[in-house]
Amino acid sequence: MRSFLHRPETGAAAAFLLTYLFFAIFTADAGFVSVNGTAGWLNLASELGIIAIPIGLLMISGEFDLSIGSTVGAASMIVAIGTNQFGMPIWPMIFIALIAGMIIGLCNGLAVVKTNLPSFIVTLATNFIVIGATMGFSRLIANVTSGSIIVSDSSKFVFAARWGQANISIAWWILAALLGFWVLSRTVFGNWIYATGGNLQAARGAGVPVERVKIILFIATGFAAAFVGVLQGIQWNSGNSTYGMGYVFQAPIVVVIGGILLTGGYGSVLGVVIGTALFGVISTGIFYTGWNTDWIQLFLGALLGAAVLANNYVRRLALTSR
Amino acid sequence: MKSSFFKSATRALSSRKAATGKLIAAAAIACSTVVTPLAAQDEGPIIVVSGPLSWPFFAAVKQGFDDAAELYGVDYQYIAVTDTANMTSDYPRLLQQAISRNPRMLLVGEFFPDGMDPLIKEATAADIPVLIHNSGQTLWEQNGSIGFVGEDPYQMGYKAGEIQADAGVKKGLCFNQVPGNPTVEERCNGYVAAMKEAGAETIYQTIGTGDATNPQAMTQAIKGTLQVNADIDGIYTLNAVPAMSALRAVDEIGRKGEVMIGTADLSNEVLLAIKSGDLAFAMDQQPYLQGFMSIQIAYQYLNFGLHPIGHVKTGPLVIDQSNVDKTLEVNKEHAGVRGAS
Repeated sequence: MRSFLHRPETGAAAAFLLTYLFFAIFTADAGFVSVNGTAGWLNLASELGIIAIPIGLLMISGEFDLSIGSTVGAASMIVAIGTNQFGMPIWPMIFIALIAGMIIGLCNGLAVVKTNLPSFIVTLATNFIVIGATMGFSRLIANVTSGSIIVSDSSKFVFAARWGQANISIAWWILAALLGFWVLSRTVFGNWIYATGGNLQAARGAGVPVERVKIILFIATGFAAAFVGVLQGIQWNSGNSTYGMGYVFQAPIVVVIGGILLTGGYGSVLGVVIGTALFGVISTGIFYTGWNTDWIQLFLGALLGAAVLANNYVRRLALTSR
Repeated sequence: MKSSFFKSATRALSSRKAATGKLIAAAAIACSTVVTPLAAQDEGPIIVVSGPLSWPFFAAVKQGFDDAAELYGVDYQYIAVTDTANMTSDYPRLLQQAISRNPRMLLVGEFFPDGMDPLIKEATAADIPVLIHNSGQTLWEQNGSIGFVGEDPYQMGYKAGEIQADAGVKKGLCFNQVPGNPTVEERCNGYVAAMKEAGAETIYQTIGTGDATNPQAMTQAIKGTLQVNADIDGIYTLNAVPAMSALRAVDEIGRKGEVMIGTADLSNEVLLAIKSGDLAFAMDQQPYLQGFMSIQIAYQYLNFGLHPIGHVKTGPLVIDQSNVDKTLEVNKEHAGVRGAS
């Protein structure tokens, strides 16, 4: 019991259960707990979740990445312009978009470790640079800032297949979670991540290649953001430079709800998954209540605040009962 | 890229403009009580303060500005926000900066009147000619501007409400993805008014600001509302992206074909959906014309002191199955002109 309470995701799990029950009761006849309702919030959570997992690992290592928002849009535009403007087949363009995401991550990583500036500022700058470049080049090349994507059947299957109303993104999310879980808790690299975020100097002294750890995590984050950009673009048959701007803050929010410390060094992948699910439930469930939607952000804020407080309380309980 | 021909043409124009400007200035001093010294506006730039270019809509507005500027040999500068999170406070600041540069003329989208209107009054009081486009249709006469080019958002929404009510819609949903923007809200107000007059019910729905560009979030939001209100049989969205989300939401609850969906603004996807019959209509306010005609009026005003009197209305043009083919054709041949990409 004690070790269960001590886990980083316990608080988030408690908050998730309470919130889910809340909506299950208040939206009893609107079908929120039905198969389709569940597919709905999972669809929403999965797209955010694919990005949130590498963001979680990055935050455990003590860094932020706010450039994810514009990377999502950039990736979708690369595919749109390539397939629509230049008549390229879609798979090479997907490949280029994913590489572009990794390059953005590499630039972030190099800039952070070489300058020692806070990644919060560095990646905020990247966020503006990338969306500006996306719009500028899109306009230069195609005279648009959003555009149709010409999809193929195979790409449609990989990124937008649906079973009933559940999108394939849910499967990708699970895969990303398993991969993240394996890396963080079963590999040496996972230990390095904790060490880098826990105590940078000590980690360096112990021979952990902290710079490489950070750069690799930034690349992973850029890749995940580009992946979601491709996924959204193919799902909606259109690229848009503003896709993903909401994730800039939503991703760190769900990571923190999931029990990862803002200062780094502590947290788990399961926590991030639960935090993302909680966010999906709140931001979808609220519409099933039928309440006046002007209040939505107030509810969202209050519920998030309550979730984080509950989370914090459970964690403190866990730490003191040791 | 402008050719050198256009550059020299602009220079010639500038000197003529100087003369006209002085004439107007002299007239202003003669017949009004202006006491502040006149700004050196003759050589200043023409500055456009307009919407964010990340929106296909404003990309088309800018296309209109660019094409007219090239045609008339006018130089101008386009100023807009890149980050849309704080537009209410960013736009007055941008406008302030534009005014402080003593522009020869200001072409302004008055998106946020509370902050922008006092500044426009300042500009017109300092004899900077101002022309409003896109938003601000109820304000230009009071703030001293020479005119307005654009839609009446209320009428636009009203027309959408009329179409749906005529088609027999009994309960309509107006989905606003950017709550807090008074112009966009007016569309919902118009829609609600038209539906009410026809005896139909309406629901007004908004979404958190972080999700305004997330089609999945909008789909799930609309789906939730449709689940709670099973009798909704009409939806009006205010942008092309939520229109596609509304389509998906209706499909997901298994009511495809039972809910009439119409939208403001265009995209290629929207046009294709109209062609296939999934979407009933789209309201086009012809953004290209807003930019093009603004420059045209600026040219004629600065050179000859001429300008149209009253509203120049650019919308709504209703696009449905009767005229969608032509629109798709233009969209293919002249990317960006229809604001549908």
